[in-house]
Amino acid sequence: MTDLAAQVTAALERGLLPSVIARGGAVRVAAAENGIVTLEVTGSPGAVLPLASRIEGVIRAAVPGITAVRLVTPGAGPARPSPEDPGDLAGAARRILDAEVNPAIAAHRGHVTVAGVTDGWLRIRLEGGCQGCSLAEVTVRQGIEPLLRSRLPAMIGLADVTDHEAGTDPFFSPEKR
Amino acid sequence: VTGTGAVLGGPVPIGPRLLLLVPARSYRAADFLLAAARMGLDLIVASDGALPIGGRPVIHVNPADPDGSIHRILARSGPVAAVVAADTPMLMLAAAVAERLGLPHNPADAVLNAADKARQRQRWAAAGVAQPRFEIVPAAADDVIRQAAEAVGFPCVVKAVSLSASQGILRADDPAAAVTAARRIRQILAAARRPHGEPLVVEEYLPGPELSIDGLLVGGDLTVTAIFDKPGMPDGPTFEETLLVTPSRLPPPVLAAAIATAGQAARALGLTRGPVHAELRIDDRGGQPRPAMLELAARCIGGLCSRALRFPGGKTLEELVLASALGRSVGAGWSGGHCQQVPAGHEPVRPAGVFMLPVPQSGVLRAVEGRDAALAVPGVTGLTITIPIGRHVDPLPGGDRYLGFIFAEGNTPEQAEQALAAARGRLRAVIQ
Repeated sequence: MTDLAAQVTAALERGLLPSVIARGGAVRVAAAENGIVTLEVTGSPGAVLPLASRIEGVIRAAVPGITAVRLVTPGAGPARPSPEDPGDLAGAARRILDAEVNPAIAAHRGHVTVAGVTDGWLRIRLEGGCQGCSLAEVTVRQGIEPLLRSRLPAMIGLADVTDHEAGTDPFFSPEKR
Repeated sequence: VTGTGAVLGGPVPIGPRLLLLVPARSYRAADFLLAAARMGLDLIVASDGALPIGGRPVIHVNPADPDGSIHRILARSGPVAAVVAADTPMLMLAAAVAERLGLPHNPADAVLNAADKARQRQRWAAAGVAQPRFEIVPAAADDVIRQAAEAVGFPCVVKAVSLSASQGILRADDPAAAVTAARRIRQILAAARRPHGEPLVVEEYLPGPELSIDGLLVGGDLTVTAIFDKPGMPDGPTFEETLLVTPSRLPPPVLAAAIATAGQAARALGLTRGPVHAELRIDDRGGQPRPAMLELAARCIGGLCSRALRFPGGKTLEELVLASALGRSVGAGWSGGHCQQVPAGHEPVRPAGVFMLPVPQSGVLRAVEGRDAALAVPGVTGLTITIPIGRHVDPLPGGDRYLGFIFAEGNTPEQAEQALAAARGRLRAVIQ
C-alpha cells in the first residue's frame, strides 16, 4: 500500500468507516495516485451513496494532496452510464412500484417513489408509514430490491435515500429491549 | 478496511439459507438484514409486521400463535440451516420452529427463564449464582411489599418481572418508598397491558460499578464478544442506562470473575446456544469486589448499541451471531473452555462507546437541537434520533424509549467516553 493510500485508509477508519459498516457497506482503497483516490464499495448501496460527499470531504480534509474521489463497485468498473437510458430505468421502476408495491404498502400508510437514477443506481424514497418504520429495511431488502432486480437487469444497485429520522408517522416504531 | 459484503451489480453470492424472525417493533431488523447481506446468506424473513411484497415475500408469523406460524413457515421457507430471532419477542417462536425443523435450539424452558426476572432469580438461587438478596412478591398487597423490602434490607430495588430497558424499576430507601414504588410499577404494568397479578421482585440494592457482558453460547460455553462499562449509572430512584464504553476498565481479575458469573448464570437458566446479554454489578462493599448478576437476556445488547462494536475484518456483532447460529467458529482463540475470556484477536477493533439519550421529561418531542455540533465532536462516529418528532414521550420508570443514540470511538476508552459526553452536552431535546 502506498503512503497516500495508507493516509486515505487511516482517514476513513478514523472518521467514516463505522458509519458505513453500520449501514451494511464496506469501503476499500483500490488506488490512490496522481491526487485521485479510487474507492471500491461493496455491500449495501444505501450505506455508501448518502455518505459520498462526506467521504470525499473527510478524505480531502485529511489528505491535502487529494483532488478527486471516485467510487467504483467490484466487477462493474468505474461508475459508468447505464446501457439503458436513465429515464427508461426510472420509468420502468416507477411502473413496477406503482403496480406491485404501492398498493400493498398502502395498507401501512406507506408509499415508495423513485428519487432518481445515476449510473444505473436507482434511488428510492419511502414515505408515509414507511418513513422511519422499524421494518423499512425488511421492505426494501426482502421486497422491493429482489422484485426490481428480477425485472430490471439494467439496474446496478438500489439505494434507499429516505431520511428515516425525519419520519413523523412510522407504522412501526422500535422499542428498546 | 474491507468488509464482507454482497457485491453490487454482480451475482449475489448465495450462502446457507437462514430463517430470521423479526418482530415488528425492534431496532434490530436492519442490522441483522445487513449482516446477512454482507455474509451472502440466503435469507428468509418471517415477521409479525412486514407486508408480503416483492419477489421474496416475508412470511407472516404471530408469536402468540406458534402452531399457525410454524405451519406457514414450513409451507414456505424450504429447508433452512439455522433459525435466529432478531429480538426478544421472537425468541420463543424461534426455539419452537427450530425444534420442529430438527435444528439446534435453546430449550423452551430456558427461553422462558431468561424472559422472566423472577424465574431468573429462582434458578440462580438454586444454582448458587451470585446475585442480590431477593423476594418474589405475588400479586402484592402493600404489607407484603413492606415485609419483602424489610427482608432484603434498605435500600432495595422493586422490579417488574417482564419489562426491560430499565422500565418498571425503582429504588426504595424505606418501607413507605417500597410500597409507593410497587404501586407505581403496577400502574406501569397495567399501562403495558401485562397480565393482572404479575409478581414483582424486591431485591437488595447493590452499590458499585455496573457492566454488561455480551457473548455467544455454544454448547453452553460462553465466548465473550464485548464488555461494556456503564460509567455514570445512576444510584436511583430510576436506572437509566446512558453511557456504555468498551473495553472495560475494570481490573482483569474482576472481569474474569464477572465473565465466569455470567457464564454460570446462562447455564443455570438452561441456555446452551446463541447470544446472551448479561448485566452485573460489582458489589464493592467490604473491600472485596464481587460480581453479582442483575439480569440476563437470551439476545444481543439492545437498541442500536451493537453499532458501537466492530470486530476484525469489519464484522458486526450480528454477523458473529449469524455465523454462530450456522455452526461457524466465531473467533480465533476459541478453545471450547467452560467459560472463556475474550478470545485473542477478537476484541472490538477500537475502544468505543454509545450514549443512549434518555427522555428527560414527559411531553411531545418537538426537536432535538445541536445535532451538527454533536456530530462535529472529534471521535463521534454517529448520531441517530429514533423517536419521531411529534411523538409523546415519557421518562423512566414508565417510559420504554430512548430519544436516540450517539456513537464514538477513541484511542482509549476515556477518549470515547469524553467524546460522548461532549456530544451529549451539545444536544438539547425540546419537549413540550
